[in-house]
Amino acid sequence: MKELRELRDDEIRIVGGDRPRRNKRRPILWIASAVAAVAIAIAVLILVARGGQDTPTQPQHAPQTSIAIAPADTVQHLGRETDARAAGFTELIDTAINDVPLCLYIPHNASMTLHVGRLDKTDSTIVFAAQAADIRADNGGIVGAFVLAGEPLSWGLSKKGYCAVIGDTVTIGMADNSPLFERATETGGYFFRQYPLVSNGQLVENNPKGKSIRRAICDRQGEIMMVGTLDTESFHDFSQALVDLGVDQAIYLVGASSFGWAVDGSGMRHEFGNENTYTSGRHKMSDNISYIVWRRK
Amino acid sequence: MAVGRFLTITTSVDLVRIAPDRIVYISSDGNYSTIVQADGEMRMLSCQLGQVERTIAAQLGTDGNLFIRIGKSLIINRNYVYYINIPKQKLTLSDAATFSHTVVASKEALKQLKELLEKEANGL
Repeated sequence: MKELRELRDDEIRIVGGDRPRRNKRRPILWIASAVAAVAIAIAVLILVARGGQDTPTQPQHAPQTSIAIAPADTVQHLGRETDARAAGFTELIDTAINDVPLCLYIPHNASMTLHVGRLDKTDSTIVFAAQAADIRADNGGIVGAFVLAGEPLSWGLSKKGYCAVIGDTVTIGMADNSPLFERATETGGYFFRQYPLVSNGQLVENNPKGKSIRRAICDRQGEIMMVGTLDTESFHDFSQALVDLGVDQAIYLVGASSFGWAVDGSGMRHEFGNENTYTSGRHKMSDNISYIVWRRK
Repeated sequence: MAVGRFLTITTSVDLVRIAPDRIVYISSDGNYSTIVQADGEMRMLSCQLGQVERTIAAQLGTDGNLFIRIGKSLIINRNYVYYINIPKQKLTLSDAATFSHTVVASKEALKQLKELLEKEANGL
């Protein structure tokens, strides 16, 4: 079967037809590049024609400066390459996009499931945990459709973002109806819904206003990662930062003081949120509190 | 398109056989693709959108021109393009009778789609 070049999101292509229709500015760039190349060639010819006797000739093996520019279509993961036999861990990367300080959590040699109820903090197989679906304030139920190991615990569409785990494949997206819900029930998989933040590389606006610590689960060129803000941010600024990070798909995870942790390569535990949110004060932990959990393979 | 011609998409575990004009669009769900049909049904396939595109091109040849790949995540049936709104990044696919589906695509891709359909409408 004929190989087709991977398409970018700003391109279209007639199937079985001609070549991709690119951004119209590109031919102009090509023409400009060709004109520049011709001009440089003419300048070199003039210099050579002048004899060049008074110009010291450069040694043939003089060091040269080169700049490597990766093609736009090249997949460049943010996480480091790891030995597939190594014990699972979460790589933590601190960065800032548009003055939004972020921490990226990239699991290695780990697989994701969902968990409902209080998590065992002493479970040494867990390398990352964070709250997943929202909980209804009135009855403590899970907001939106939710599947736990093939068992549907909640139905309904209140948020269009979804995350499904079928086997080892994590799929993040935005849809009113996703067949992955049924797929999860048929295959013993997992599914939950949250606010969509980024869909196909485009920012998705959300109604809730105000600022808070934000968290998300993201797909960036096939690399699944969790991202958290280090300061309080609006939904819009957080989503924009994810777009500028190059994220293709992202949905929200419970933010603010919700508790979770990551275990890095040296085995050190990095906690975020407030562990005592549900043990002190007026908040009572719902039986339906849910987590995304990455465990060592 | 030849009458009675079908598109047959097979994976290791299943097979879908459908007349191309009954496909409204095909969307990508990561490693899965979902066919949205004119009868309102959705059929998920355990293959990537690129594989579906190659299958269409291989089986339908130039008749595959019925379909247009929009960015990484969509293949649409051009016969059902009903409304394009570039600023809102909306593309509505409808037969103006029984169904209407609105999908999101990048502004640049929608701009190119609009230009393509305008040229075709003007016979250019």
